[in-house]
Amino acid sequence: MRKLFLILLTFLLIFSFTAFANADEIKIGACIYRFNDAFMLRFRNAMGDEAAKLGAKIEMADGRDDQTTQNEQIENFIAEGVNVLIINPVDRMASQPVIDKAKSAGIPVVFINREPASEMLDSYEKAYYVGAKAEESGIEAGELIAEYFKSHPEADKNHDGKLQFVMLKGQNGHQDMILRSKYSVEAIKNAGIEPVEIASAIANWDKLQAMNIMNGFAMSIGPENIEAVIANNDEMALGAVEALKNSDYNKGDKDFYIPVVGVDANASALDAMDKGEMLGTVLNDADNQGKAAVRLANALASGGDVKSIGYEVTDNKYIWIPYQKVTRGEKK
Amino acid sequence: MAENVSKTKKLFTVGGLVVLALGIILYFAKEPLGLNRKIYDLPVFLILIGLGFALKGFMSKAKSEDDLDLGSKSFGEFLTNNAILLAMLVLVVVICILQPRFMQIRVALDILTQSSTKLIMALGICFALLIAGTDLSAGRMVGLSAVISASMMQTATYANRFFPDLPQVSIWIPIAAAVLACMLFGALNGFLVAKYEMHPFIATLATQVIIYGACSLYFDMPPNNSQPIGGIRPDFAQIGQMRLFQGIYPGFPGISILIPISLVICVIIWFVLNKTVFGKNVYAIGGNREAAVVAGINVFRNIMFIFILASFLYGIAGVLEAARTAGATNNYGNGYETDAIAACVVGGVSMSGGIGKVGGIVMGVLIFTVIQYGLQFINVSPMWQQVIKGVIIAVAVAIDLTKYRRK
Repeated sequence: MRKLFLILLTFLLIFSFTAFANADEIKIGACIYRFNDAFMLRFRNAMGDEAAKLGAKIEMADGRDDQTTQNEQIENFIAEGVNVLIINPVDRMASQPVIDKAKSAGIPVVFINREPASEMLDSYEKAYYVGAKAEESGIEAGELIAEYFKSHPEADKNHDGKLQFVMLKGQNGHQDMILRSKYSVEAIKNAGIEPVEIASAIANWDKLQAMNIMNGFAMSIGPENIEAVIANNDEMALGAVEALKNSDYNKGDKDFYIPVVGVDANASALDAMDKGEMLGTVLNDADNQGKAAVRLANALASGGDVKSIGYEVTDNKYIWIPYQKVTRGEKK
Repeated sequence: MAENVSKTKKLFTVGGLVVLALGIILYFAKEPLGLNRKIYDLPVFLILIGLGFALKGFMSKAKSEDDLDLGSKSFGEFLTNNAILLAMLVLVVVICILQPRFMQIRVALDILTQSSTKLIMALGICFALLIAGTDLSAGRMVGLSAVISASMMQTATYANRFFPDLPQVSIWIPIAAAVLACMLFGALNGFLVAKYEMHPFIATLATQVIIYGACSLYFDMPPNNSQPIGGIRPDFAQIGQMRLFQGIYPGFPGISILIPISLVICVIIWFVLNKTVFGKNVYAIGGNREAAVVAGINVFRNIMFIFILASFLYGIAGVLEAARTAGATNNYGNGYETDAIAACVVGGVSMSGGIGKVGGIVMGVLIFTVIQYGLQFINVSPMWQQVIKGVIIAVAVAIDLTKYRRK
């Protein structure tokens, strides 16, 4: 018993030393919904680099796609005494308890990537959101398709003037999935083309699932009847490309080509675009989002001016980072 | 009875010939009648089915002990015993009516292609089931093997290479590395089960978690940092994407290389299970472990070999998945073990060990894939697909258990 007590005491001492060692350094606690996500990875790298530049300490926790796990991690961060939280919620609709926790601890909280409802953000004056307007990614993906359709008359395979497309959607209920699906179609409409959805399916952002589903569509609908594939992200777009290649489409022959668009601009998508297998993608600017989030968090924690961080803060709550269209030949 | 038997033989032969004739007529009539877009390749299927039945009737004439009894009492039994198969046939007919495009040769070939990796998985996992165990680590091994093989098989010009300085190595090195890594974990499975008599459920659960963690660590290594692996070399992708006999007649999509690969593996596993001492030992250990020990079977060595052989097959499946999709993430293979177990069970492999045939497993995998593919084909919601899948598993096992109780 005494031995145990001694061991505990030693641990406590070590802990308190490390805790007080850098008392005046700003500590940022960042909760990421899942580490294993290509987009969040770029986001994390950008945050880490920016924090190092600003001399702040950033700790990141992997929520493993589970809100309960993330809530525990948030509590741990608060108990640890971080000065500011950056939260990438697992479930954006479950953000109210997170805001309440931050509020009662009196620390500012910056949400990233997944936007909590505005009434949740409004309930705490030190709650912010850094992200991209998801509808913008949908609009730009739709515009990519519309531009292609207009400049390539042969893309209208059945010559009816309408655009028969297939939609591959992300995880059900995800904000990006809802808005990207909706606004990509809107954008095609706004460009003066009538879109006709001949099939859509949920492929959970996943290449393998998208490939199997698209394979099925190629068989049941026939690639000759599909005029465009719109995917909510690049991985699914790439899965669709593999399935189309399996039906001898998108292999370089102009007569056997279906324009495929995605969102994210990841390395594999850029590679596929260079090979002419994929039409284009939309870049969700993780670098600038990560930078903005850390700068905002740093300013909030150190009592600095949020207006001087180099990003425009709208409504005293939001920083919007615009999306960028990427097509063949313009590697980033 | 004998009269009855010869009647069924006649039924098969005559019925088969009728279907065959119908198929041939339709084959030549569909162009002039303008049915091309309505029945697609149905005539070809009819010809094949007709041929099959006619041959079956003809063959059973030759050896009379293998007869088919269609007496009224046994007919009911026949129906319940083959309920899943019959349900599948009904579904196929319904799908063909709803969506005639289903009657294409390329669809049948696509179903066989999608069955191939599943079959390899099922053949691996059947060993664990045969000794009354299970293998929860199978799916994660697929992921591990996919990630390892894909990580070394990227083109030199790809922007985001896993190993930026790796030369263009022979494709066999990454495949060997991937499969060996799986076999290592297979050995761990076997060791835990054989040495400590741990229940395979727990042993493979532990291994599953370890593999996923290890695979994620590997996948997260800089400079890759958990990004999906892409930019796969075409020569590697060919292993999963190559098609044989492409265009031997106009419009023939070709036979995916995956089909012959899985067939070869199937034959090898059939040989191992039926013609080798090891195979007999597997059934013996599964049937009664104590008796096997008493009979002088080296249980430790056999169990080790079972799990290593199984992991070898999962490794192959992972390599094929990576090649087929020209990419990999650490999430590949997630849940494959449940599909494989389900296919085995539907194919008549007993969960209590000792019973199961390669032919049954092939049937199980095909039934499952046809149903899954067909439901997707007519756009049944994925949620309903899950429900239906679950019902199939429950019904299949229920039928199986009543069958053995009757005996």
